[in-house]
Amino acid sequence: MEKLLNKNKFDTLIAGLKKQGYKTVAPKKDNRLVTLEEVQDASEISLDHVITNNSIKEFFFPKTEKILSYTLDKNKVEMEEPKGFAVKSVIFGTRPCDAFSLPVMDKVFNWDCSDKFWVERREAITIVTISCDKSDSYCFCTSVGLAPDAKQGSDVLLTKISNDEYLVETVTEKGENLVKEMESVFSDPPGTPDRQVATVEEKFDLKKIKPWLDDNFEHDVWDEFSNKCIGCGACTFVCPTCHCFDIVDECTMTKGDRVKNWDGCQFTMFTMHTSGHNPRSTQGMRWRQRIMHKFKYYVEKFDSTLCVGCGRCSRVCPADMNISEMLELIETEAGK
Amino acid sequence: MDNIYRPYLMTISDMTDEAPGVRTFRLNFSDEEEGKNFKFQTGQFGLYSVFGAGESTFCIASSPTREDYIECTFREAGRVTKALRELNVGDTIGFRGPYGNVFPIDKWEGKNLVFVAGGIALPPLRSVIWNCLDLRDKYKDVTIIYGAKTVDDLVYKNELKEWEARDDINLVTTVDPGGETPEWTGKVGFVPTVVEEAAPDSNDTIAIVCGPPIMIKFTLPVLEKLGFKHDKVYTTLENRMKCGLGKCGRCNIGCTYVCKEGPVFTAEEISKMPDEF
Amino acid sequence: MIEELRKKAEELLKNDTVKVVFGYGEGSVPERTRPVFITKPEDVNKLTWNKYCVYNLTTYLKRQETRKLGKPAIIVKGCDARTIIVLLKECQIKREDVYILGVTCDGVGDPLATKCESCDVHTPRIYDDLVGEKKENKEVPFEERYAELDEYEKLGEKEKWEFWQKQFSKCIKCYACSNMCPLCFCDRCIVEKNQPQWIDSSAHARGNLSWNVTRAYHLAGRCINCEECQRVCPVDIPLNLLNKKLAKEAEKNFDYRPGYSVDDELAMSTYKEEDSQEFFK
Repeated sequence: MEKLLNKNKFDTLIAGLKKQGYKTVAPKKDNRLVTLEEVQDASEISLDHVITNNSIKEFFFPKTEKILSYTLDKNKVEMEEPKGFAVKSVIFGTRPCDAFSLPVMDKVFNWDCSDKFWVERREAITIVTISCDKSDSYCFCTSVGLAPDAKQGSDVLLTKISNDEYLVETVTEKGENLVKEMESVFSDPPGTPDRQVATVEEKFDLKKIKPWLDDNFEHDVWDEFSNKCIGCGACTFVCPTCHCFDIVDECTMTKGDRVKNWDGCQFTMFTMHTSGHNPRSTQGMRWRQRIMHKFKYYVEKFDSTLCVGCGRCSRVCPADMNISEMLELIETEAGK
Repeated sequence: MDNIYRPYLMTISDMTDEAPGVRTFRLNFSDEEEGKNFKFQTGQFGLYSVFGAGESTFCIASSPTREDYIECTFREAGRVTKALRELNVGDTIGFRGPYGNVFPIDKWEGKNLVFVAGGIALPPLRSVIWNCLDLRDKYKDVTIIYGAKTVDDLVYKNELKEWEARDDINLVTTVDPGGETPEWTGKVGFVPTVVEEAAPDSNDTIAIVCGPPIMIKFTLPVLEKLGFKHDKVYTTLENRMKCGLGKCGRCNIGCTYVCKEGPVFTAEEISKMPDEF
Repeated sequence: MIEELRKKAEELLKNDTVKVVFGYGEGSVPERTRPVFITKPEDVNKLTWNKYCVYNLTTYLKRQETRKLGKPAIIVKGCDARTIIVLLKECQIKREDVYILGVTCDGVGDPLATKCESCDVHTPRIYDDLVGEKKENKEVPFEERYAELDEYEKLGEKEKWEFWQKQFSKCIKCYACSNMCPLCFCDRCIVEKNQPQWIDSSAHARGNLSWNVTRAYHLAGRCINCEECQRVCPVDIPLNLLNKKLAKEAEKNFDYRPGYSVDDELAMSTYKEEDSQEFFK
């Protein structure tokens, strides 16, 4: 289904969604950063950014969440299932790269057995993406098989066609239902819309990456590239596809929660055994794991690259490590 | 939809102190129905939890042929094992599992078995040893070579006595030089050396080796020298795990998720893995 | 100045005074630089110097990966050199193990970093060699040095609490702040210790508050306000407000500013009977 949405209808749309019982999440400007967060009305929405500071991940896989609650009474334990974590919502105005991270992550969260905390949120949330009308030098979606107006993972895709208008394309049944639900805000699309879509330079050839990784678990490049890494978790936490987590208990004398927290492969403690032995004892090994996981292991296991080219990791890296630069370097090495 | 992180509740029905800091719990399902439906195979592991302290990964140390309970043996090392040590018979713990692959004991039928273990790594072997002993007539000669730092550090002392007394098992126990007591009648020496001396026949034999990385590293070449082919040698790997379900992303060695594709591997499989463990 | 830096670096590597030079290189975009570690004299042209050289490179003195490279020469601005003084005082480095290549500086960042607005160390206070024209380190009055806090200090207790609740709610526990901090050098940070669990590892209100406050307190009287924690925070928490507030209290109470002289006694590890206990109230 194709429709047209005028910017001046955003107000009605967001109000309408609220009326229908949706929580709306959209890009919102706060000080220096544009962040995806809950909005109450359309005036809060920012539209002139390249990409939000946070990824879409936290709405499906929060930085911290209860996976079990329990009460303790002497030696009696009562367990209680967390409830109400999947809230009917619309994420409005996310980017195609973020939207694509969802089907990519579906694979690991449903492998063999399904993680209901992910799955139930996926069911409850509808994704309305806005194609990118601008990009920056950190973007590389086109190098990992995507595009600034890619549809995968979105339920509805909006693409700017004039200063005030967006072409609305429904991608899934869920998206179609949403558009029908909000029918009054949409109008008929023009015959030949002029899509305003950013150009994103292709930086490396993905086909050349994995064969090199297959052969180069041991290579000087891992240490050399990562020696400036400070070992923090910024890259993995802002990444829409990094999904590693920790499970910890937090409790008082009488009750407690088991919680699932973001964790990251760049931390020294991530793989440290209780004995003190650490299979990934250097930053080079940990950096290699990040690249291998994204461009080799996940590809072999799930037939999908674990990177959507959003460039967030490079934007936030305290030491200016740049992932596409690493991949360009691999491409060069592969050509040697 | 089921919560894959929800544990079974289990009651500690018995406990045994094995060695300094090492204890075995016998666990029964608090819910009888769950207990009846629970099945596992030897080699598998689980996540044991103390509510309030967290979860910790170890193997199921009992044999699936003993159907009424499971057992786990742990050494006090971190936060969770310390909390486990503070529990008593009658207390409740959580258990998620069984996870991981299994020792292919069906494939071993009609063969000789050599078990080699070091220190606290006997528990995973104990499960498969009892499993095979409970089906004793399906296997030919059974040799168990077990070593620890000191006499005190040997675990399952009662079972070692039981195995020693049986004439259908060849048991060799050893302690590291300096770890012996005046009463010690076993061998004195490191496991790899003792294996070489014992020289089990590699013909039609499966070797199952578990121990600290350094022991494995030096035992594998000895077995090779004795004629064991890499695909006839089995071991288990341990890596830090949080979910046990292939999701939390930390136990992999290269492409291999230890929690899903392991913990049981042949020496051949391990030789193909990148050096990251 | 770039040429002079490169020449010095080349010289130091050629005559084997040092094995590596920690310096600034071109970044992935023109508005960024990045740390570079030069081990070969022929690579010195990778060094650069411009207003984007914000990093406090002394953090690499603590990392095993960069320590492994051998004795370093490290390029430091006046503010970074203050860290070296603290590291020396806290016995983290030995003077003879580091060659200090000081650079004089008029300020970095675009817009100018807050720390540069009240800079009194345009010329490093410690160095083996100085690159750039020596500048006068004019004393900046107390009020001016802490002007950044004026707005914050006007807030009432409740407002301050709400302000921090909101800021800390953004924290994702990536620990970029502590990993980047040259003075966060504990082998095992308190946040990594779980017996007992002093700080909840979860990024919820309680965990975030205890983490951020503990981090700041551990730097009280030590932090030299290089602002690296705030710069690297991916969710833009104004961490420097905390650091600066504690620095101000430390100075008020102990008349001490870290990193100005190797002869000073450390505020937090020197006991004096006449010390005021007000600080802990």
